[in-house]
Amino acid sequence: MQTTPSTPDTDLQADNLRRAAIDKSVKVPVLFLFTNGAFWLMLSTILGVLAAIKLVEPEFLGNCQYISYGRLQPAHINALVYGWGVQAALGVMLWIMARRSGQELKSGKSLLLVAAIFWNITITFGILAVVMGKSTSIEWLEMPKFVWPILLGCFLCYAWPIVRMFGRAFRPEGFMVSTWYILGACFWFPWIFITANVALHCLPGLGALGAGIDAWYIHGVIMLFFVPVGVGAAYYFIPKITGQPIASAQLASAGFWTLAILGGWTGMQKYMGGPLPAWMTSIGAATGVLLLIPVGLVGLNHHLTTLGKHSAAASSPTLRFVFFGALFYPVSGVILALNSAFWTGASLQFTQSWYAFQMVSVYGFFSMCVFGAIYYIVPRLSGCEWLSVRLIRNHFWFSVYGVGTIVIMSLVAGWQQGADLNDPEHWDQTFMNHVVNSRAYVVSRAVAWALISFSNLMFLIHLLLMVLGLGRRSSAPTLLHHEHDETALPHGAHA
Amino acid sequence: MSASAHPDSTDLDRLHSAVKREKADLAPESQPAPLWAMFLLMLVAIIAGGQLGPMTGGWSFDVSNPFALISGGGDPRPGGGGAGDALDPFALAMKKGASGYSVCGGCHQGNGGGLPGQFPPLTKSEYVLGGTERLIRIVQHGLTGPVTVNGQSFNTPGGMQPFGGAMSSQDLANVLTFIRNSWGNEATMITKEMVQKVRDEEKRASQWTIAELLPYAEKNVPGEIPAGPGATAAPAAAAAPAAK
Repeated sequence: MQTTPSTPDTDLQADNLRRAAIDKSVKVPVLFLFTNGAFWLMLSTILGVLAAIKLVEPEFLGNCQYISYGRLQPAHINALVYGWGVQAALGVMLWIMARRSGQELKSGKSLLLVAAIFWNITITFGILAVVMGKSTSIEWLEMPKFVWPILLGCFLCYAWPIVRMFGRAFRPEGFMVSTWYILGACFWFPWIFITANVALHCLPGLGALGAGIDAWYIHGVIMLFFVPVGVGAAYYFIPKITGQPIASAQLASAGFWTLAILGGWTGMQKYMGGPLPAWMTSIGAATGVLLLIPVGLVGLNHHLTTLGKHSAAASSPTLRFVFFGALFYPVSGVILALNSAFWTGASLQFTQSWYAFQMVSVYGFFSMCVFGAIYYIVPRLSGCEWLSVRLIRNHFWFSVYGVGTIVIMSLVAGWQQGADLNDPEHWDQTFMNHVVNSRAYVVSRAVAWALISFSNLMFLIHLLLMVLGLGRRSSAPTLLHHEHDETALPHGAHA
Repeated sequence: MSASAHPDSTDLDRLHSAVKREKADLAPESQPAPLWAMFLLMLVAIIAGGQLGPMTGGWSFDVSNPFALISGGGDPRPGGGGAGDALDPFALAMKKGASGYSVCGGCHQGNGGGLPGQFPPLTKSEYVLGGTERLIRIVQHGLTGPVTVNGQSFNTPGGMQPFGGAMSSQDLANVLTFIRNSWGNEATMITKEMVQKVRDEEKRASQWTIAELLPYAEKNVPGEIPAGPGATAAPAAAAAPAAK
């Protein structure tokens, strides 16, 4: 990108210096976001275990109101979404945009840090309020009213420099492929967030429409924030590590624009057949299925890009996480389509399969991509290498098995619940029977969250050691060696 | 942890080896997308389109039923809301009464046999098969005190609770028709109008006793019974739906 003609060697050196300077400029806020995000993720997974146990055994740990399922579950989801999800996403967005645009973070570093601190303090109070019984009872917006304007302000503090970096960047061919997702996330999240909060907290007498708006908000945050950040990270890291250019610029462009157009229309199909105007749920259902198009285009592009390069995932931690996350993107799209279409949605409506969709998108897809990004970014910021291959492997495999279990079990449970509820032969069954029948699946959910909890303990410890500068002092990356490694890419190619 | 000043090339060697081994950002290629994938996406679009069409309720803000424009009169139940129209009034009452009987089955049991010593049977009971006036009054207002059914005496504590407040006269009529024509019972149909007539005449709040009901023992509520099997309690016609 530098235009000064010189020998290739000095050119390279200058470029290295420039990238190192960019890394240094975003170091403090990015590491702060990652570390706090990892703490929230740890808390969220533990709450996930407890909530699942409480759903099966309400007497577990006593009858205390503060740890009843109705309070633990929203605390678990809010810690996952706002504590971990949005926070880690902001870190990844800031770093990728800084790198892609070639812009250092010039000013406002302390503002970013203050915003991040406020974000964490606010969520702490918000989740405490939920546990104390001050929940708003609006799914994904359970934290009390005062939380939301502060979170919005903090988010905008980050969105602004990211957008400005984009605006100043020199944009060579192919610059957009990952950056437009990041840029989109900067605009879409505030839009969805403001719309939903104003509608739900400020407009009186919404009635049933309020539930529809809430469902729209959840799907909007997933499809227009978590998905773009995850896809943006995958588009950045896959070519960066495999050394293979993205297969098709046209597919990338089509995948982005279809997502941009369709992402904000879905959600209300959650209440299909409910007391909302039929066209609202109908459009949500149609869009839920149509979203398979952007999902399919991105999946196809990744497939074409990585064809024959899959062995690299065996040794590079980043690639392994990103591969897995990218693999789960189509899975999440299919689950959304199943939940949305009237034919299958009639059985899956109001069942655990909606939890399957939330978890496969937020953990299986988004979080795995972000883990990959963190494994790439943190060594560049902390100046040391990841300590232990074993910790990374544990983190990967326990996460994979955990989230796989949650998704499969919730889907099967959802199908069974829905089919049972709709079965005319079951007209004389009490609702409690269906709850009891699904207990086995909830037990497996508790086990799965315990696996994920363990994997994130590994991750948190590892990340903390890195942030404290206690990583490996070496110029070689930490690779997950594989017996067939020699046939893969040469060593330096990974990381 | 890291260099305090701006990094120079020496720092880079020591601290930023990760930066040095990075690959350059690559411009994307323009590989063609396989044709089958495009066909697959078209299929997706067609399936998605299936969620629109009549299910939009004509894009009206007043229609919340996704089946409003689909055959079956907008009723999502199998066969649509008009499914019952095909049945004669007696068969329909038997079908709906079987569903409504779930309220009664808790005590009188699914086979109508009751529980010896606790809940009286409905099969072959003169209270079920006798005058419709008495039967409607029992279910409408409840019954308390000792009662002898089929030679067995019962005195359930609290008696039978009134169901008049909780069920519409149509539901009540369906259930009564059902119990009068199930498990070997055969008797005339009880219509909604009959139940409504009793309701309008009698507004008591307390349960009946058997003694109070004696005047109504053989009395039938006057009312038109739709022509068909329910009118005469023909054995063959009553047995078939009762088996369900």
